[in-house]
Amino acid sequence: MNALVDAGITGFYVLEYKGMSPQDWKGFAIKEDPKSAISLIRDYATDAMLICSVVEEERTDEIVESVMKALEGEKYTILEVPIRRIIVNYKSEVQERAETWLMEKKVPCFYCGENAVQRIRIDMNKAKIWCTNCGAARYYLIKGVEKEEN
Amino acid sequence: MAIEKWKLEKGAQCYNCGDATIHDIVVDEYSIKIRCRECGFSRFYTFHMVDLPAKSENTKK
Repeated sequence: MNALVDAGITGFYVLEYKGMSPQDWKGFAIKEDPKSAISLIRDYATDAMLICSVVEEERTDEIVESVMKALEGEKYTILEVPIRRIIVNYKSEVQERAETWLMEKKVPCFYCGENAVQRIRIDMNKAKIWCTNCGAARYYLIKGVEKEEN
Repeated sequence: MAIEKWKLEKGAQCYNCGDATIHDIVVDEYSIKIRCRECGFSRFYTFHMVDLPAKSENTKK
């Protein structure tokens, strides 16, 4: 990780898995049932880690060099794959957040007594009223909703 | 901590009818009621807790 960060990557993801090298696998023939496969993995596979990162093309050599230097003597495989396109989809949270209302009312504070602006923030499930002079705050929670029949 | 009821208004999109309407907001000591003038849909909040600052020099009496 340090080698990757030093080489200039900004983000990555890590997958832990169990794997077998082709030389370990050679000559093996297992029964095609889940139980055999699981026991084979448990007994023979070794712990491995897959680290993925997307980097700028011109920085690749520098990053690979740095990783190779940091992992000298370790067993590793580096795969360099071109990426043709990336589509990132974020869950839209705008609708849920849009419900926050902010209001003000200038009245004597219940706590400090000063005729100061009392700020009111109303969210979907909670509300807060606080004094801009002393900071005393009251919190409210949603109790319920009611629909009037027309 | 007795306070008078505050009556406020807020123009916003109603959660229920979806129209941009006026909402009447009544803030009481122990509750808040928000009612859409268009469809009558109301939300009720109850008092949960109070967070008071420590009494210090800058708290005017």
